[in-house]
Order: sequence, then structure tokens, then C-alpha cells
Amino acid sequence: MVTPFLIASHLYKSFNHHKAVNDVSFTIEEGEIFGLLGPNGAGKTTTIRILSTILPPDKGEVIIGGYSIKEHPDTARRLIGVCPQDLALYPELSAMDNLIFFGRMEGLSGKQAREQALINLELVGLSERAKEKVEKYSGGMKRRVNLAIALMGNPKILFLDEPTVGIDPQSRNNIFETILSLCDKGVTILYTTHYMEEADRLCQRVAIMDAGQIVAMDTPYKLKSQIGDPEKTTLEDVFLKLTGRTLRD
Amino acid sequence: MFKSLLVAWKDVRLFLLDKGDLAFSLLLPVITFVLMYGAFGGQNRFHGTAYIVNEDNNGYYSIMLIDRLKANESLNVVELSTGEANRKLQKSDILMVLFIPDDFSEKLSDGETASLTFKQRGNGGQEGQIVASYIRAAVSSISQELQIQHGLQKTFSGQIPLERITTVVQKYIERNRNHPVVEIEENVLGSQPDPVNQFLPGIVTMYILFAITINARTIVEERKKGTLERLLTTRLTPGQLFSGKFLAGISRGFIQTIILFLLAWAAFHIFTPVSFLEITLICLVFAAAASSLGILIATVVRSEDAATWTAVFITMAMTMLGGTFFTISPGSLMETLSKISLNTYANIAIKSVLIDGKTVSDVWKEIVVLVGASVILLVIGRALFRVLPGGKR
Repeated sequence: MVTPFLIASHLYKSFNHHKAVNDVSFTIEEGEIFGLLGPNGAGKTTTIRILSTILPPDKGEVIIGGYSIKEHPDTARRLIGVCPQDLALYPELSAMDNLIFFGRMEGLSGKQAREQALINLELVGLSERAKEKVEKYSGGMKRRVNLAIALMGNPKILFLDEPTVGIDPQSRNNIFETILSLCDKGVTILYTTHYMEEADRLCQRVAIMDAGQIVAMDTPYKLKSQIGDPEKTTLEDVFLKLTGRTLRD
Repeated sequence: MFKSLLVAWKDVRLFLLDKGDLAFSLLLPVITFVLMYGAFGGQNRFHGTAYIVNEDNNGYYSIMLIDRLKANESLNVVELSTGEANRKLQKSDILMVLFIPDDFSEKLSDGETASLTFKQRGNGGQEGQIVASYIRAAVSSISQELQIQHGLQKTFSGQIPLERITTVVQKYIERNRNHPVVEIEENVLGSQPDPVNQFLPGIVTMYILFAITINARTIVEERKKGTLERLLTTRLTPGQLFSGKFLAGISRGFIQTIILFLLAWAAFHIFTPVSFLEITLICLVFAAAASSLGILIATVVRSEDAATWTAVFITMAMTMLGGTFFTISPGSLMETLSKISLNTYANIAIKSVLIDGKTVSDVWKEIVVLVGASVILLVIGRALFRVLPGGKR
């Protein structure tokens, strides 16, 4: 039996008595694209922060590539790439400079960082405008730079927190293609999104979170089968059935 | 350490690329300098105006006195009529006037005692008092010359013609004036004790403190934007990130210091190469203390506005307490309060080197206080520093 690349078991995290993550457990196989879905405030971002080693869980354990993030956080972090929901980059610098800077933070030498930056910019289709300041880019281009930065450390597992929010179809398509090509290379991906059709298209398995807990976890096909004809039902129908139609903040 | 330097270098690049920030950090101090230069005329010495009413028209000795005052580089002589002088005094346009009576030269020629009158409002003002002391010195000099002349005339009366005595006395006085028996040499180390030197240290430290503490805002912005969080998902440790931000503050303050002092040197011709290096070193230590303070602000506050207003409040309080725009009297309550302000120590140290010609070793106490404050603030800041609430330290 193959050991999962990521094992999250019984994670808990509270802020001021609010249970943001409440007994969350799941595994992700190597090379798998795993979707983490849920309405606003469900606990997806907190879960990713715990997995990224930024936020220590109150309880529970995470093992990435065989390393416990509690006992070997530095080793585990070398396997991780994170693409946050917000555009966490420096708009005053060029895309190239942003990538080189984060590459250096990943421990690459100046030459290695430059070479890796060129590869990543090519991957996200920004080679020709690599030297322009990011502040001059469109929203979609900024999102692609955000993703390219996450790849600077050559991660074995990539956490993508809503990487396609508010962008044009071309940029979204480019990001999909990038994700699929990374998957082909054996990179494991944890993907959160509000767009159900994206999860349906990309993810081999999805977990639906609500109020800090996982309320369902399976392949999109099986989840759809649970509520009706999988050919006619959408993942959004499953999502709304499980999480309700009440508006969330 | 290397990663901390890279973080600092990135922040310095962002500072240099941000035109608004750059303008604030460099242009405002320069404007302040220009205003100072305008206010003091770029002059290193006192320069005042002597207002004179000469009722002794064409009198030999009144003309001599006025000519001597005109020859003084520190004085500008303005002659007024009696009515004009009284009017200006009434309206407080001027605060002091010298009245030379109509019998001034006649009495002196006759060997009698003549008198002059200072007419003034209040105490005549600081400038008026200094001008009066110049006039008294000139009158005293003329008085001594006349006493010698009259003494010789009495001694050699009938033996040597009066004209001959007068000519010889004037010749010797002229020679003494050109080649005085006692010469006074001004030997100022580093620079001259002028108002620019008095205000320059305080203004530079004020802007450094302001720029670095307000930099706390950018750390809060980075935290909010997520770049700090993202940096911690790389192989950068929170300690390296903290050190990087600290070094960035020092670098920024240091760059600002160098540029401002180079501009000050170009404009006012102050500093020797040695005093420049010593003052730069003091400012480096001060920038370290200010950088620690900036990081502590960024650690404690949660919003950009809170960071800005905290920085403004601290800078203004320290500017007041640090004696930036006025001299703090020794032994006063203000002096006691000033000891809690970081820039007090920087100002004292810089002024000591700039004005008193002291060296860094003479101001070691102030440097030790700044280093100590930097270490304490840094330790507190590091203990409280978190990128995320509840996140790792």
C-alpha cells in the first residue's frame, strides 16, 4: 500500500473560542489534485495555513512527504509551495525580480533563482513581459505571477488557495494548463476554490468543508451520485445540498 | 544572516523606487534646510543694523565713529533723522537708536567729556543689545585714542606743534589697527558655531526617526497583504524575517543620513572628513535604535493608520523632548524629561562633534544609551513579533 504524500489527522484550531478548524482529517496521494471546497469562513484558509507550517494547530498532526510538520518543520517546508488567495507579491518590482527574490528565500543561489524564474515565467506565459513592473500587469497576469512564485522552490506539493479569483478566461485557462502540467510531473496539489466547475474539471477527489469540519469527501463523480444522476447533477448541487443555501459572510 | 540581508536589500530597493516615500524622506528635510538657510542668510556670524541719528552734522568725531562702525563687517549702519527715528521707535519698527548730540565733536576737541544716548524700546532686543556693545567698543577705542592724544598735547605743549602730535598719534593708531599687539585667532574645530549647526542635528534626527518609525506602516501593510505570511512559507525563518526588517530600517536611515549630511555639507560647508565619519557613525547607531522602535510599533499595532499615528505621536514627542528647535536648560524639568527621548542622546552626541569639536570617544555615554535602547526595544519586539495572530514566532 502506498503511503499518502500528505496526511492531516484530527486538526483543531480556535481563535477566541471560535472553532475555525474542528477535527479535520484527510489524506492526499502523491501526484493527486485534491480539492478543498467550502463557503466563506468554512476553515479552508486556516487549514492551508496549518499545512503550510505558518499556523500551529491546537491539536492534531500533519505529515508531509513522511515528515511531521511539528517535529521537522524546516524539512517539511522544503517540500511545500504556497500560492495564497491574496496577491502576495511586490507590485513595485518586476515579475522577474519578484521571482528571483522569493527564489533566494527558498535557498536558491542567484544563478539558480534566475534560471528557475525564467522557467516559471515561461510556464505561466509571461516571459516576454518579465521585466515589467507587476503593478502594470492585469489582474490575470498578477495571478499568474502569484502562481509562478509558488513554484520557485520546486515544490513536491502545492497549496493553491483560490488561484483563479476574478480573472479573465485566458488567464484561468493558463493556470489550469499549468496545474495539469505540474500534475503530470508528479507534483501533488491541494486546490481550494469557489468555482465548482473548476473542482469538477481538475480534482480527482474533493472534500467539502463547512463550519470548520469536512462534511463530505470523495471523487466528484461519487459525490454527485449520492444526490442524483451524476451526468445531470453538478458539484454545485452537491455543495449547496451539503452546506445549505444560507448566505455566508 | 544572508537571507536577512536580502530582505533588507529588497526593502531598500522598494524605498528607492517609491517616489512619494523618497520625496518625503529627502525633500522635506531639504526644504527645512533651505528655510533655515533663508532665515539665517547662510551667515556664520552675527549681523545686525545700527540705527544712528547724527545731530553733530559734519562733526569730525561723529563721522569718525560712524566710519568705524561702517568698517565693522557685523554691522549695517543706517542713519536716520530725529523725527524718523522717534516715529520708528514709537511703532516698534526698530528697538534701539544711537543719538549723537550736536556738540559731540566740539566737546571732544576741547578735551571735555561728551555723551551719547541709546534710545530704546524695552531692553532694545537681542540684536539691539549686541549692536550697542559694538558701538560701546568703538566709542571706547576712540576715547582711549583721544586721551593719549590729549595727554601728549599737555606733556609736549609748546615744544612740538599740535598738528605734529595729532599726525604722529594717528599714524601709530593706524599702525596698531593694522598690526595689533594682541591678535585674536578663531580656531574652530570641524565647523563654526552657527545656528545651522545648532538646528541641523535635531532636524536630521527628527526626520530619520519619523521616516523609520513611519516605516512600521509598510510592515503592517505587508502583513495585511500577505507577503510576510508568504515569506514564512519559504525557507526563511521568523527570526531572519525580523532581522531583515531591522536591517532594512537601519539601511534606510543610514542612506537618508548620508544624503542629508552631504547636502548640508554642500550648502553650509560644515564637517571635516573626520567629523563627517564620526557623525555618520552616531547616526548609524541612532538609526538602529529608531529601527528597533519602528519594528516594535509594527509588532504592536494592527492597522496602517494606527502605525502612522503612533509614529507621528512618538516623533513629535521626541522632537519636543529632544531639544530639536530649542536649547534645554540644564537642571530644568525639561532636561529630566528629555532623558526618555532617544533623539536627545543623538542630538547631544552630534552637536558635541559638530560644534564642540569633540570625538566619538567623548560621547561614548550617549552612544551606549542608544545601543542599549536599541537592544532592549529589539528584544521586546522580537518577543512580540508574529506575522499572524496565533502564528509562529
